[in-house]
Amino acid sequence: MKNDRNSVSNGTVVKSNSGMNGHHGYGHPMIQRQPSRQCSTEMYDLSCKVMLIGDSGVGKTCLLVRFKDGTFLSGSFISTVGIDFRNKVVEVDGAKVKLQIWDTAGQERFRSITRAYYRDANALLLLYDVTNKNSFDNIRAWLAEINEYAQEDVVIMLLGNKCDVAGERQLRREDGERLAKEYGVAFMETSAKTGMNVELAFMAVARDLKMKKTRKPNEPQFNVADYVDQEKSTSQCCSS
Amino acid sequence: MSDLKEAEHQNTSESSDQGEFLEENAPGESENPMLIASDSYENLNYEILDGTSTAQRQTPNTESNETSTGEESNNEEQTETANDVAKKKQEIVPVEEDHDDVNSEHWRSQSKHIFILSEAGKPIYSRHGSEDKLVTIMGVMQALVSFVGDAKDSLRCMIAGDHKFVFLVRDHLLLVGVSSGMDSTHQILLQLTYVYNQVISVLTQSTLCKIFKQRRNYDLRRMLSGAEKFFDNLINLMDSEPGLLLGAVRCLPLDGSVREIIAQSIVQHAKIKDLVFGLIITNNQLIALVRIKKYYLHPMDLHLIMNLVNASESFKTAESWTPLCLPKFDSSGFLQAHISYLDDSCNTCLLLLTVDRESFFTLSDCKSKIKERLLKYNALRAISDSLQKTAYGIQQCGINDLRHFLYKSKSTAQYTSPELEAPYVTQKEKDRLFGLYKYLHHRIHTSGRPLKILFHVGPYETLLGWVTQGFELYAVFGPLVTKTSAIHAVNKLLRWIKREEDRLFILNSVTF
Repeated sequence: MKNDRNSVSNGTVVKSNSGMNGHHGYGHPMIQRQPSRQCSTEMYDLSCKVMLIGDSGVGKTCLLVRFKDGTFLSGSFISTVGIDFRNKVVEVDGAKVKLQIWDTAGQERFRSITRAYYRDANALLLLYDVTNKNSFDNIRAWLAEINEYAQEDVVIMLLGNKCDVAGERQLRREDGERLAKEYGVAFMETSAKTGMNVELAFMAVARDLKMKKTRKPNEPQFNVADYVDQEKSTSQCCSS
Repeated sequence: MSDLKEAEHQNTSESSDQGEFLEENAPGESENPMLIASDSYENLNYEILDGTSTAQRQTPNTESNETSTGEESNNEEQTETANDVAKKKQEIVPVEEDHDDVNSEHWRSQSKHIFILSEAGKPIYSRHGSEDKLVTIMGVMQALVSFVGDAKDSLRCMIAGDHKFVFLVRDHLLLVGVSSGMDSTHQILLQLTYVYNQVISVLTQSTLCKIFKQRRNYDLRRMLSGAEKFFDNLINLMDSEPGLLLGAVRCLPLDGSVREIIAQSIVQHAKIKDLVFGLIITNNQLIALVRIKKYYLHPMDLHLIMNLVNASESFKTAESWTPLCLPKFDSSGFLQAHISYLDDSCNTCLLLLTVDRESFFTLSDCKSKIKERLLKYNALRAISDSLQKTAYGIQQCGINDLRHFLYKSKSTAQYTSPELEAPYVTQKEKDRLFGLYKYLHHRIHTSGRPLKILFHVGPYETLLGWVTQGFELYAVFGPLVTKTSAIHAVNKLLRWIKREEDRLFILNSVTF
């Protein structure tokens, strides 16, 4: 999988550092000291691609809109067609990290298309809906797909969304935890409606990517799963 | 339909009092069109037939005569079969369980139904009611089609009472349209073709065929989930937008100079390898279209693009990157579309269609530059002004007693028509007016006896349809207009359109 590859970013072609030493050589977040002219007038130190994936209707767009604009898209169900793109610059320990977020459509017919973009992603937020068992059952298939198409060092975070809905919950938090442990990915429950853990999900990703970039060889590796476990909040209703 | 059964005067040849007009120089005509010229909808139908069995081609017109209401008219073998099965169908329906959708008054009273099912009879889509509950009736449809198909024949339409049932079989799919409205069977067939094209637009024809080759009884709803809104929206559009009937697109009225600036903005900032089409649309109207030199856009494809934009709320919230198949352009593959709105009120939508799946950021960059230039030249303001002004009223044409018209320039595949005004303001009246246009269009394009001019006196209005090499004109007058004055009025109207053609049509095709 270590082929030389170009990633297009901000209209300029940037060679990814495929020849770099160290185990994180391939697929590094690209350093862009130059301020970007378009999309955002903000300056940033590094940028990375985050993809939101998961079955249709689990709340990917809602999660993103909550993170980006701090609002909740209630009311009618707006399903994404293809891939939507949004930018947000966040700050991690004084460094500006630009998150380029790809919000994908969950429907089956888009699988083969969105799959093509996995390999460019530095982080994948994989969502299921705690009130929909089916969306949870499909997580294994999603993970298999990620395994096949994404970069080896991609950051994967499993998110059980809609955890504010107490009555219709079909999955316990433990179910998600067990699955995440099995696959060695980070996990938490989120709510786009209340905002619980939403910020954390994206910030943990940004932090991980920043750490990968700036870590000295003798420093311990940043573990996003541990970090998330430490930071995440668990609402009362979630423990059953 | 009953109000149309009035005395009609038709004129199949052009008589002296209207022959003077400029056939060789129709208003809105262009030497250099950007859309594929569309002649009349008949062409589409023959194309449909070409795609299916040869048995159909031998009898291109099985449409029954409109004047006989209800009873099947002709003595063709397949219509007889249709008659038999229609009876059979009527017997079958009542035996179904009471709670079934099919028996609800609401469902039955819908004026138009569209169904999609697989060759194996699996329900895929129904315009009204849940397709799950319609399994039985879809089974009946499938049985009818395969019964007739067994005799090496094909079922094309049945007429029962005031309902028309039209069938279209393509690529493992069976599409059925049922209408109790003014649509002719050909028009319903055209609508089914649009619906079929919508399926292709979502899946591509190759994927569709591959799926059913692998598993004949595949439940296609899995692949189409989330696309229901495109079908719903498209079918609603066909009930209100004459462009789909005419095979033509309406342009937002704009000064030629503004249009030029807009097109040039796209040319300058989106001249990128592998970009095939760049277009700006608003509210089902075309503002600008730039294309690669050797490729043209078909109006049918453009309607699907408009439908995609119209039916999706999600494009309003972020820049989007979505696969899109244009069946007339290439039914076997996807183009990749960069879709974004240029204004905050989400009226003006820019689409950049490319074959390069990796060019999202490049195109995103193009979009920003295009927007910048449009703002600089006040073009976005001009667009929103034109949108707010609501095209033009019939008074502007200055013709007495002319109430409304549709004018299609064939060479550019574009049409123009004034805003709907009184008495066509209520939904019922709007529908009735559109019904009149459908009737006029149908009569003129009847394949057995195509007409050039049709003058029709109805109880509430008088209709005049006129088709030449260069244009199609459908005009609606008050009820007391005489034939001579109507023809004079139409000539005057054509001169008015000619004067306004720069504003109403896109006459220059801009290429990268």
